[in-house]
Amino acid sequence: MINRVTQQTIQRTALTNLQRNLTSMSTLQGKLSSGKELQRPSDDPSGVGRAMAMRADQAAAIQAQRNAADGVAWLAQIDTALQSSIAALRSARTLTVQGANSGSMGQTSRDAIATELDGIRDTLLDLANTNVNGRLVFAGTSSDGVAFDDGTGTTPYDWHGVAGAGVMRRLGPDATVRVDADGQAAFGVGANSVFQLIDDIAADLRAGVEVSGRLGEIDTHMNSMLSTIADVGIRYKQVTDTQKSLELTVQNFTSSISGIEDIDLAQTILELQMQEVAYQGALGATARVLQPTLMDFLR
Amino acid sequence: MSTFSGLSTALSSLTAQRQALDVTGQNIANANTVGYTRQRVDMQSINATTVASMFSTPMGSGEGVNVVDIARLGDQFLDARLRTQTSLSSYHNSTATTLDRLESVVNEPGGTGLSTGLQQFWAAWEDVANSPEAPATRTALLGKAGAVVNQISDTYRSFESQWEQARTEADAMVSQVNSAARAVADLNQQIRGVLVSGGSANELMDKRSELITQLSSLVGATSRPQEDGTVSVLVAGNPLVSGDRINEITVQGSYVMTGALAEPPSATDTVRLSWASNGTALVLDGGALAGTMTSLQPSSLGGPIALAVKAINDLATQVATAVNTVHTTGTTLAAPPADTGVAFFSFTAGMPPATGLKVAITDPTMVAAGNGTSGAWDGSIADQISQLHEGVGSPDQSWRSFIVDLGVTSEAAQRRAAVSEVTRATAENLQRSNASVDLDEEMTNILAYQRAYQGAARVLTAVDEMLDTLINRTGLVGR
Repeated sequence: MINRVTQQTIQRTALTNLQRNLTSMSTLQGKLSSGKELQRPSDDPSGVGRAMAMRADQAAAIQAQRNAADGVAWLAQIDTALQSSIAALRSARTLTVQGANSGSMGQTSRDAIATELDGIRDTLLDLANTNVNGRLVFAGTSSDGVAFDDGTGTTPYDWHGVAGAGVMRRLGPDATVRVDADGQAAFGVGANSVFQLIDDIAADLRAGVEVSGRLGEIDTHMNSMLSTIADVGIRYKQVTDTQKSLELTVQNFTSSISGIEDIDLAQTILELQMQEVAYQGALGATARVLQPTLMDFLR
Repeated sequence: MSTFSGLSTALSSLTAQRQALDVTGQNIANANTVGYTRQRVDMQSINATTVASMFSTPMGSGEGVNVVDIARLGDQFLDARLRTQTSLSSYHNSTATTLDRLESVVNEPGGTGLSTGLQQFWAAWEDVANSPEAPATRTALLGKAGAVVNQISDTYRSFESQWEQARTEADAMVSQVNSAARAVADLNQQIRGVLVSGGSANELMDKRSELITQLSSLVGATSRPQEDGTVSVLVAGNPLVSGDRINEITVQGSYVMTGALAEPPSATDTVRLSWASNGTALVLDGGALAGTMTSLQPSSLGGPIALAVKAINDLATQVATAVNTVHTTGTTLAAPPADTGVAFFSFTAGMPPATGLKVAITDPTMVAAGNGTSGAWDGSIADQISQLHEGVGSPDQSWRSFIVDLGVTSEAAQRRAAVSEVTRATAENLQRSNASVDLDEEMTNILAYQRAYQGAARVLTAVDEMLDTLINRTGLVGR
């Protein structure tokens, strides 16, 4: 069918076209002013699905970063405490060796060594009760305030931790790392603890008993501390490595989300400008087309 | 042949041309009137009178011109096409608008939606797992939980108010339909009266045609012209208007969303249309009202609002169930027997899950972070809860898939609406190009009628002069 063209149809067509131009201009302006390509789910449903999943993963990764930073604080504290404990135990060993030289040493000197050993025991006990923000690093899940009792109570040098329970930090959906240390393994418990051992040595020295046989026991404790510190070192490395990779992951997620959700500024501005030109053209054409009728020429 | 027949011939032309000029004037006057259909005077020559006798040999010319009709230059097929497209376009437009509103309510994607609220909630659990000894983390968790609960119920309320708005719209539309139908019936009656008495009812027909197009846009009505000049308006195959009688339609069902969306659909509460006279169900196949009715349906009948409501209710249930299942196994800091088996979320009985959901505990020490066997500061249960957002079937994932579903549906609806609008605009353009007034054409007609009028006047003068000669100048021989 060949259309008859009347003023009204021209008017209508011009109006529809103007409206269409204006609509796309408003869409582009909305994108430009918000900076977002995706403003509502229907803009790109699959993109929105991906962006939402990525946001969730990003949030999880950021939380894992926080967890890791917290974990590093724990592990660093344990490492320091154990290093100091080992140093203290070394000097205890040296003192024991000195005390074992029974021939060249009088009882006064031995008593002095024993007193010094008492001090070392206190240092060790202090180190074993190290805490991070009020949490005991050698009895992580305990709320008792101390990881090890002192030697005066009814249960001397008792450990307050729970065997097998650890303080865990989550580094990913399937990855957790233990950030406390097993105080039982590092220091021993009760009669078998390193504290009791030093107490015994001091008592022996005071009583004039030969202590050179104790050196083996000191070495055993030293070894268990060393193996604990090695274990902590391995976990420390694991956490710091994860921290680095998490940083990268978060950055990647941020740029991916931006790639999906955000506009390409140059492209959008160009499109907007083209749309403006088109709109102006349409306005010009409309102004021209609606002017003349036959009436202008009939006199 | 009468002596004066020339005069009457010229007179008939004068009358006819003047009438034609009047009609042209009417056309120009209504050049911008919405729904006006251009008119044209149909003229017919009057043939010579013949004497009914044997061997009669009439040699006379015709007797002039006669206006037989003022034709309304509408095309009912173009009208019908426009109405079909209007009904489709209104339906798609209404559906797309419903989905568009739903999209604005959910506020995704972005940093302020429900998904972000959930993420913060899970992260707060992880903080509790890290520091179960700190009251601050527990208090923060309760705050985040409260925020999620509020967000869920706010979203539900927004869906509910959208439903209620649509319900009100349905009522308004139905009364609009009935009053438009009443107007069409009245016009039918008037038009029949005018036509029977031989008049021209063109302007009334324009009005009626406008109303019928409006009815198409509302309920997808189609029309069928009758021989007596009336038009029957059909909705879903049944007459809404026939002659001067109308069949009113009514909308029935609950004004309360929970009742109307109950599953399985209730026979009395589900919102539905029916014919007022006999209560027969009415299922529309087009028009804005059809879109509105669809949006009011329960989810098993595909109502988009109901699906959104179901999604938010499911989310509330899922979050509460998942968290409680793990939380009840944990140990709180309270003294026995309140130390274990504590629910984190609870529901108010008799309310939809999304609005009935609340955080059951107010005391931070009642958060069960540990498993009870690994020491007082154990955070394994909190950690387990913090991971509930992972994996297939997690609340976060269900919500995400609802959002994607909504996006896909809405995108498709918008595309359909855009396409059907283009088709409608084309049909409208065709209809208008046929029916609208072209000023150039009317100008030309003015010229033609004016010249014809001048000509007829000249003929009148010529005949008059001839008769003057005959009457006043003859028979004067020798005077």
